[in-house]
Amino acid sequence: MSAAGAGLAYGAGPIPTTVLYGDQAVNLDKIRSDPKELWVRAGDLPRINQFEVKPQGACRADICIPLSKDLKSGEWFNLTGFARRVRQAYVSDSGVWSFGEIPAVRGVFYQSRMAPDFAVPDRKGRVVRLSDFRGKKVLVVTWASW
Amino acid sequence: MYLELKDQNFEIVAAAQDTGGEAAAGKWYDAAKATYTTLVDVKHGVSTSYQFINVPMGIWVDERGRVVRPAEPAWTTNQTMKIGEKSIVTEGEAYVTGLRDWVRNGERSTYALSDEEFARRVQPRSAAEMEADASFKLAVWFHEKGDAALAGKYWRHAQELNPDDWNYHRQEWSFTPQEAGKKWREKFDRLEQPYYPKLEMKKP
Repeated sequence: MSAAGAGLAYGAGPIPTTVLYGDQAVNLDKIRSDPKELWVRAGDLPRINQFEVKPQGACRADICIPLSKDLKSGEWFNLTGFARRVRQAYVSDSGVWSFGEIPAVRGVFYQSRMAPDFAVPDRKGRVVRLSDFRGKKVLVVTWASW
Repeated sequence: MYLELKDQNFEIVAAAQDTGGEAAAGKWYDAAKATYTTLVDVKHGVSTSYQFINVPMGIWVDERGRVVRPAEPAWTTNQTMKIGEKSIVTEGEAYVTGLRDWVRNGERSTYALSDEEFARRVQPRSAAEMEADASFKLAVWFHEKGDAALAGKYWRHAQELNPDDWNYHRQEWSFTPQEAGKKWREKFDRLEQPYYPKLEMKKP
């Protein structure tokens, strides 16, 4: 994992921060200044990665990850510390943090064979999901102009 | 083929893995007079979801959303292209034969894989592969913001972490078309495994 050039400045007012995860890019208007870690408001966690902070840990569907004390501080949640805890890769530069898949979430696919959903726009910009075709057989096939 | 099968409760979802968007992919869809579902997948989200490392690749998904066959090359014709000392072999006829059989027969098809075979074929990504994907997404972000230097940095980082993923390479090379052919050929010539994984279609 690398976090070179995270681009965080102290005392510079609101720091533009974007988190990439899955199909989403989430802009955060408030993070906690830290030279190494990305601390987000715990309340922002659901829109970042669909996890929610609960008494038993960070939870999503039927997965709950117990949180050690260093991952929480008041309203703040250490997103990069959490990533290391769940073996999720991340790379960041200039205020943009890109997170890879969460192995515990991805593991559902390997065990259940249920196809992970995607959300990708069609030619007119309308978002299409695999789950839109439930009830049909589907061939999902890629190609490219290059 | 699609027109023949679409009445059998079957859909083709084609996803252009094109960071260049509709401007890059659109004319090809037009030329193909596509009547199936046509996506423009700027971030290669479909390849990420299903562990595709080149194009064309496909998966089959049943009515309940379960994967019948995981990632494999998805050609529709048989071709052998000799390039230098090696060849690129596409095995489309067997693929289409299997697809037709599955659309008709569903889970009774001999081409529907068992759980054991699914588990053999699908391996969790390594730490390097997961970081490569995060890096590729960061590169796409900077590319879309017009920052070629940062995009290039993270494209190369993704390529170094996962050299087997041709999508990471070919997408980046497409932005310098005058050098793309030479770069592709250099990497191709060094390959020790087939350019496309061998198609393992079980015959009835």
